[in-house]
Amino acid sequence: MSGPDADTREPDVVVVGAGGDAPALAWRLGQQGIDVLMLEAGPFHGNERFPNPHAERGEGASRSPADLSGDLLDEQFTAREGDMGSPVDGKLRWGPADADRAPWARTVPQTGVISQVAGVGGTTLHYYGNHPRAFVPAINDQPHWPLDYGDLVPYYQYLEDVHPVKPAPTTPKAELFYEGARRAGYDLTTGLNVEEEGYRPFPNAILQPDEALQGEYDGDFRDLSGDTLAAHEHQGGPHPRGADFERRAKRGSLVSLVPKALDTGHVEIRPNAFATQVLTRAGPGPLEACGVEYRDTWTGRARRVFADVVVLSAGCIETPRLWLNSGLPDDGWVGRGLTTHHFDFVSGRFDADTLEEIIGQRAVEPHQGQAAGSRLDVPGAGGIAVNTFAPGITAASMYSESVNGFAFENDTSGEPWDTEGRVVGQQLKDEMSDYRRTLTLICHTDDRPRQDNGVSLDPSTEDEHGPIARLDWSPHPEDDERRLDLARRSARLLEEAGAEHIHRSAAAPIFLHMQSSMAIGKVLDTGGEALSADPLFVADHSALANGVGGANPTHTGQALALRTAEHLADRSFDGVADPIPADPTPASADD
Amino acid sequence: MSYARGTIAALVDAVVPGTPGAEGVQADGALDIDLDETVETAFNELQEAPEGPVRSLGYETMPFAPVLALLLDIGALELVLRREREESLRSPKDAYAGGPFSRLGPEDRMRAVRLLEADGLFPALDERYPDVPFGIVAYLMQGAMFITAMAAYSDWGDDTERPQGWRQADYPGPAEGYAVHMGYEVEEFVENDYGGGDGAEEDDTDDGATAMAADGGDDSDPEAWFDDRSRSADEAGDAEGGADR
Repeated sequence: MSGPDADTREPDVVVVGAGGDAPALAWRLGQQGIDVLMLEAGPFHGNERFPNPHAERGEGASRSPADLSGDLLDEQFTAREGDMGSPVDGKLRWGPADADRAPWARTVPQTGVISQVAGVGGTTLHYYGNHPRAFVPAINDQPHWPLDYGDLVPYYQYLEDVHPVKPAPTTPKAELFYEGARRAGYDLTTGLNVEEEGYRPFPNAILQPDEALQGEYDGDFRDLSGDTLAAHEHQGGPHPRGADFERRAKRGSLVSLVPKALDTGHVEIRPNAFATQVLTRAGPGPLEACGVEYRDTWTGRARRVFADVVVLSAGCIETPRLWLNSGLPDDGWVGRGLTTHHFDFVSGRFDADTLEEIIGQRAVEPHQGQAAGSRLDVPGAGGIAVNTFAPGITAASMYSESVNGFAFENDTSGEPWDTEGRVVGQQLKDEMSDYRRTLTLICHTDDRPRQDNGVSLDPSTEDEHGPIARLDWSPHPEDDERRLDLARRSARLLEEAGAEHIHRSAAAPIFLHMQSSMAIGKVLDTGGEALSADPLFVADHSALANGVGGANPTHTGQALALRTAEHLADRSFDGVADPIPADPTPASADD
Repeated sequence: MSYARGTIAALVDAVVPGTPGAEGVQADGALDIDLDETVETAFNELQEAPEGPVRSLGYETMPFAPVLALLLDIGALELVLRREREESLRSPKDAYAGGPFSRLGPEDRMRAVRLLEADGLFPALDERYPDVPFGIVAYLMQGAMFITAMAAYSDWGDDTERPQGWRQADYPGPAEGYAVHMGYEVEEFVENDYGGGDGAEEDDTDDGATAMAADGGDDSDPEAWFDDRSRSADEAGDAEGGADR
């Protein structure tokens, strides 16, 4: 019998996944001179070693920042919403790089939609660059976190400096939102550490726009630095076109953290490599992880790589799937405790005269400005944000995704919205023909982790990587109450801003923000290491102990990954030469 | 026209119908851009066929489009049998298939979808037999609605520069940028205090002790985290202390 070939190179650390969080960990380890190999299931966009990532395999791996190419990014990221974002055959989907193949399967025995992306950068390839910190009470006052909020602050500050994270600019649609918030009685929040209700610009990892965009501008936008306000975050956001790879405005992990990781000279990224087993060694002590078996998604060839330390960063669904498929111990919390922010959407349609009065133009223009640049924090319940999309995603998420049936048969008397549920037929055509006069808000609920919710294996369905993941999630009645509170606040804000028609989707689950399915305090210790195996770490959003209050999770996921990297270096290598200071200079230093 | 295509045509036509009275591009509907074909293709490319009987029949991917069509007809039949139909039955349009779903009025077609995912036989079976994943029917229905809407209003299935849905929404298509910068509501965020004191200045605390302190929080759902079958957070923190080396 012959098993898969073993790689001759043995890195110090093998990381499964190169998505939103893992590049932060790899960069930090690389800074310490620790050799890291990242195995990414999906494609590597904008890389000269993979010039046609959806048509041919390309070379095996990339380990030099010189491989990164802005020109390729421009060619591959067309900003067309179906071409980029179709979950079936788009470039940013959960599936193999090979465009001729179907997406990878999951079993979801309930209503809902999964919105995850395979590829270097992971779901930050289509995220909106939103980087709020966790709400303070979600860490310090909810029972889930065995860490203090203060433990995360230095890592937040570090990331805010390097991405960087800055206040989003005001644009007409943001001003409309702010005016609604002011009239509804909310105060402006200026602090990074949020404990109270208030509205504010989003802290975004998007380079602030060029000042030339404050006046008349008739250029081609290639002469600008920073955000061009094209609102293409969901489609990959390659702007400004023509800029160097690392100077693209939206700071997804692909353009912000991956170049830094490669720059250390100690990080190699192998795309098209789907991990199927964590390799372990039995010994006198705890179970010991010693490597990973993976499968090349183009050739089907299986290989093994051995390393001193294994890190799982495959996301909230695939990390527990890989764990369970590897036969690692499960005390009942592996894959469980999943939080999703129990989304809802509320939109307001405005007449032109009202808009003229408030924002000086006769349309909202949702397709202009950052996709999500302004928000309202409601610690304890969650957050509300302007969330704008191109028309296809607007029609799909705002009007076609509901647990409350169809608007044409729903009675909304007594509610602060005019219609609720799915919108179809003439009504849908009417809503969509008013797309440019509509402001869409998303509600991110502070849903709480429960053991019933999460990921298990579906033993009846296998793909080439083993039994697939099964996802079960339903809200607790208290989560529904929090969501309803947010939806009502959204409607009030829109009404105060002058909306003539308000619609609530009562959204069906959208599995986009996912957290806490491998939580520290449950499956992991506070250093991010498995309680039941050595030296095995988890560094992705699954390690978060809850949904961070309903704040967008990327910032906390990356901060925790940096912190986990330092624990890993301390425990398995020579420690950290330049610890991130526990009492650093405030990020808000005078400028 | 196949059974699958024609039944899906009856679905997409109900979601985005042609409305001949409307002006210009607003008159056109899903069938004017062959959205039935786009949705059929999408469903037939959702998932690869595993090794086994389906693949041995020559399918590389699961033929979910005929499954979707069959389910829609079952939903239609259930609506009729329950006497919850509110529109008269009608002869199917030329683009439709001939099954019961294709003979319902457009709103009744949506009621049939609702039965399939929320109120009808399959959801009841899902409740009664939790070991069988009947809920997949609800997932497919949500997928059908999502894909239909997204494809109707985007370039999905339409490579032209400005597809019908973008024109109906008056969306100009991808842009290089917009000069809509109005300055800043907040110039810089501040590193404000939190926790009723100088929390931001706190030093790195002992993890075990912090975990115990975190237990003091009262904002929890008692049914939620504490239905824990294993260990509590403070125990986990203690365990971590031991793992430090």
